[in-house]
Amino acid sequence: MAIAQPPPQPPASVSATLTETDVRVTSGFRGAKISVYGAVFDPSGRPSDVVVVVRGPVQPVRIARKVRVGGVWLNSRPVVFEGAPGFYRAASTRPLGDIARFGQLRKLGLGLDHLAIAAPAERRVETRYGVRDMVVSALGADYYAWRAAVVRLKQTAGLYSADAGGVAFVDRGLFHARVDLPAQAPIGQYTARVILFQDGRPVSDRTLPLKVEKVGMERALYLFAHQRPWSYGLVSALIALCAGWAASRAFRRS
Amino acid sequence: MDLYLPIAEMSVNAPLLIALGAVVGFISGLFGIGGGFLMTPVLVFMGIPPAVAVASLSSHVAASSFSSVTAYSRRRMVDFRMGGILAGGGIVGAFFGVEAFRVLRLLGQADLVVAVSYLLFLGVIGALMLWESLGTILRRRRGETPQPRRDRRPILLYALPWKMRFPKSRLYISVIPPIVLGVFVGVLSAIMGVGGGFILVPAMVYLLRMPASVVVGTSLFQIVITTALTSVLQAGRNQTVDIVLATLLLVGGVLGAQLGARASARFRAEELRALLALVVLLVGLRMGLGLFIQPDDPFVLVSGVG
Repeated sequence: MAIAQPPPQPPASVSATLTETDVRVTSGFRGAKISVYGAVFDPSGRPSDVVVVVRGPVQPVRIARKVRVGGVWLNSRPVVFEGAPGFYRAASTRPLGDIARFGQLRKLGLGLDHLAIAAPAERRVETRYGVRDMVVSALGADYYAWRAAVVRLKQTAGLYSADAGGVAFVDRGLFHARVDLPAQAPIGQYTARVILFQDGRPVSDRTLPLKVEKVGMERALYLFAHQRPWSYGLVSALIALCAGWAASRAFRRS
Repeated sequence: MDLYLPIAEMSVNAPLLIALGAVVGFISGLFGIGGGFLMTPVLVFMGIPPAVAVASLSSHVAASSFSSVTAYSRRRMVDFRMGGILAGGGIVGAFFGVEAFRVLRLLGQADLVVAVSYLLFLGVIGALMLWESLGTILRRRRGETPQPRRDRRPILLYALPWKMRFPKSRLYISVIPPIVLGVFVGVLSAIMGVGGGFILVPAMVYLLRMPASVVVGTSLFQIVITTALTSVLQAGRNQTVDIVLATLLLVGGVLGAQLGARASARFRAEELRALLALVVLLVGLRMGLGLFIQPDDPFVLVSGVG
């Protein structure tokens, strides 16, 4: 006798962990290699895709365009983009476009094309073609060239990356992704978001905190420089003068 | 061996920076200049944020200049009175220069002003010095007697009020030209991230008519005062002095400066000037080149959020 109705399937879920949650920046810091390990729990064994997105602290970005004026290359007025993370890496099991639709990726901010960055200072609300309250950008049609340039320059600096094969299933339901933090990665609070996709929809996700902080000598110097800037300046000038004096004394003897 | 810089927030190769400091320190001791005009472009090229490079450098320049100025003062080759007056003007100029640079950074035009200043000042001064010193060398080779120095007293130096005696330089001139020169050099040094020796040295020779023997030492003395103050100002105002970077540079810098100051005794003054002129001219042209070459990427990230 056939079952009239299939039993309700338990929802699929994902769970993950980072091999390191506290990246300590010391004098020998040359970047960090972090792994994300996780598992997909799905008794029904539907095809699953996993996306791992690591974002650094948000920092505004100022960007200028080189324009040629009278044979000389000059910088245009700089444009400020808000909402740009200081570090961004999107790793996935397949190209993001195959995993979910455009709208879904845009909503979740997945992938370099869908990063939620904008230049609010360039926005104007005006009436165009008889339509009131239209939001237009002072950058006009070039807006996308500007936005793409932000991502491209950050990519060149090694701070933004996308890896369509960066998440690999190592065993049934068990996956692994690598995140390489370069030495120039900004200090601050990061998040690693692990999202499970099935049939183009996000069904389960986990957000893991990751902290990058200076410790020891590096931290002490940084705090000294920012909390007592004038004493710090005096100390550094004194070190310079003492070093100069010591060297001249040493050479006089010899 | 890589070392992480706490303020620049990046890691650098420590032995490379020490060697770089030594080379620039040697040049600094040899010619009596701070060497900032060489070091700033190199550091920026290595990827250190320009604001941090300029600020940390003033510390290095102060150290290597102090190291060589003591060597010069032992040989009584420093006019402290003239140096003090120049430095007084320099301090005023540095304040204005730091503020002007802040405004330019906000407008996104700092790169342009830096490139133009390098091209203009280094190019012109380098070319003039090269012309003059090559002429002197050639005349000496041909066995001609050096042209008698025109002792026409420049009206600029003698007609202005507030005259002062400078026994070391054997001058009795108005203090206005040295003060104006000091202010001008102070502004430039804050904008270009240099000590200003490459302008001071020729200006003292050709404008103030100081004897060549005290020019180098006096210029170094002025540079020590202004750069030490600039590094304190930069740390206090902008928090951009990286003490680790500065220390790396000055370890090599003070040693190089001593060797350079010793080596300078072995060369003739005009040969040294010709060599310096060549270096100045090349750096100026290299920095200015960027204005005319089509950039690889039409966009550029601008530092200084605010």
